[in-house]
Amino acid sequence: MFQQFLDTFVIVQGWLLDHVVQPPLLALGLGSYLEVAFDGVEFFLYGVLQLSIAYLLLRPLEHFRPLEHWADRKAVRVDVLYTFLDRLGIVPLAVFALLSPLFMSLEGWLRFHDIIPPQLEDAFPSLESYPLFSFFVYLVILDFAEYWRHRLSHTLRWWWALHVIHHSQRQMSLWTDSRNHLLDDLIGGAWFALIALGIGVPPGHFVGLMVAVRIVENLSHVNARLSFGWLGERLLVSPRYHRWHHAVELPAGAQYRYGCNFAILFPVWDRLFGTQYLGEELPATGVQSTVLATPAHADHFWAQQKDGLAGLFRAVKATLGSERR
Amino acid sequence: MYPRIAMSAHAIRKIRRAALHVCLPLLLAAGNTDAAPLGLALALNSADGTISLIDMDTYKVVGKAVACKEPHHLMPSPDDKSVIVACSASNQLVFFDPLTGKEQKRIRNISDPYQLGFSPDRKWFVSNSLRLDRVDLYDASDFTLKARLHAPRTPSHMAFDAASEYVFITLQESNEVMAINLKTLKKEWVMPVGPTPAGIVMTPDNRYLLVAIMGEGYVEVIDWKTQKTIKKVPTDTAAHNLHPRGDGRYYFVSNRSVSGGSISLLDTQTMTVVEKYDVPGGPDDMEVRADGKELWATARFGRRVQVVDLTTKTLKTSIPVGSSPHGVFFLNHAPRK
Ligand SMILES: [Zn+2]
Ligand SMILES: [Zn+2]
Repeated sequence: MFQQFLDTFVIVQGWLLDHVVQPPLLALGLGSYLEVAFDGVEFFLYGVLQLSIAYLLLRPLEHFRPLEHWADRKAVRVDVLYTFLDRLGIVPLAVFALLSPLFMSLEGWLRFHDIIPPQLEDAFPSLESYPLFSFFVYLVILDFAEYWRHRLSHTLRWWWALHVIHHSQRQMSLWTDSRNHLLDDLIGGAWFALIALGIGVPPGHFVGLMVAVRIVENLSHVNARLSFGWLGERLLVSPRYHRWHHAVELPAGAQYRYGCNFAILFPVWDRLFGTQYLGEELPATGVQSTVLATPAHADHFWAQQKDGLAGLFRAVKATLGSERR
Repeated sequence: MYPRIAMSAHAIRKIRRAALHVCLPLLLAAGNTDAAPLGLALALNSADGTISLIDMDTYKVVGKAVACKEPHHLMPSPDDKSVIVACSASNQLVFFDPLTGKEQKRIRNISDPYQLGFSPDRKWFVSNSLRLDRVDLYDASDFTLKARLHAPRTPSHMAFDAASEYVFITLQESNEVMAINLKTLKKEWVMPVGPTPAGIVMTPDNRYLLVAIMGEGYVEVIDWKTQKTIKKVPTDTAAHNLHPRGDGRYYFVSNRSVSGGSISLLDTQTMTVVEKYDVPGGPDDMEVRADGKELWATARFGRRVQVVDLTTKTLKTSIPVGSSPHGVFFLNHAPRK
């Protein structure tokens, strides 16, 4: 059955490459990008697959066990747009196109001067023989880095001006995960590229696991009553756990001044660095209306992008102003 | 640090048997059904980081060896005692025993190897970094770096002249062929060719370079001593790689299109295409059986190794392997000429 699935996948992928991607690339003299394009088509198809699974699993949950009852799902629509742009590869492609010349020339320069960027396997060669184990080691380290990126994006004022877009949604649903300012996506891409330069890249062939990780990220935003149980809530970021991260009213305490529960996959980071809050209740989500520049625009993609930049500009100006004083 | 090799006891017996017999004169076995086993074929799955071990008699995958992150291309050592895998993301060469598929050794600190080659005199080992526009020249006896050259942009495949004086490299994105002098270790010339050049080989008489032009689907014939293009032989969409049939005259040209993929047979004396076989899935790298009966090709986009029966000139079987198979090798191969 798995072979049948693969065969069908290969046929669809091949058809798209042959009929949609290859002709314009060859006509434009970009034949050299065929292999990248092939990977791109694969990314797109796995995105379609991942979203289909997430939708089929999580949408019924939202329907039958809703946590919040909404009059309509209008406010969710823009998140669907963000999700398609992200998961189907449009935003990642743009991020890659913008960052890769920079990072390639940096890496090219380093290597030309005989500096080979290190990778985990250099220190632990046995990882080479156990790619699955190696994948999990990379996953844990990358999640640790994501914790700090996320925490910083709440702490630094200019960064929060961008990340607040993710938090401005009051009707949080399975689609909210990808709701991010484009510049925030770009910074996230650069963050990842820098880490890759420092520790190498994880083995890239556990596509099924990557799909599962993305589904967990969708799940953590789902509008449904769901508990992972005492242990589960502590091992993997659950909808309840991440809901507290999105709470309008943050828990009391100095350690939660900038927020709580920053972890993306593994709650252990919040536990270790003192930002964990395991509340039983299920709080309302969103941000105080005073935080947003123009809340009326809150459900329009371009308005949100503009607001994010305006907020960033104001934050930078305020910081510079306070330094002058 | 041996790779995990997952295979059934039956398969192991079969491979042992193959190992015992493969050194026997295989040509004797041609056409004989009771013949010695043909042995193993190794197909490199670039996107899986593994090698599929295929029993050449049954066309079944009998095992798998772990190579590394993002391997690109495999090539035999000059003595055929090892198959060398270029691990671009992990900066290594991993050597495998072609008889058993077992790992032999790893050489580290080879920066981003993508495509590899040994000069005919076995003195030079050349490694291209396609991603980072660089060519590295190593002493083939101990893999110490002797020279490092900028090669913008995207150095891809390579060929050598018979005297091992030059290595010729296709520059995929700048549509050029670059010649590096192996005496001075410097770039000697660069000449323009058609769009997106990929595979490159030297004709057996050492007169012409044949370059597969992916962008327009032809083979460009270059008189390398004068750096002049003397002919363009149309093959099919996305002409990608070349491989000798073993008779000193004919070359197979893989046309790496997915649904319309094919392999053309090029006569290097008349410089014409004399045969063409339909091979779906994006045929890329090739290998020919010593008895000339079968042509094996990795279907890069089809996750398969395609076997063409050269007697009936049709696709004989199609073996499912891993993702993005890039390179196939077996000991029982035709001469490289
Ligand atoms: Zn946040
Ligand atoms: Zn969130």
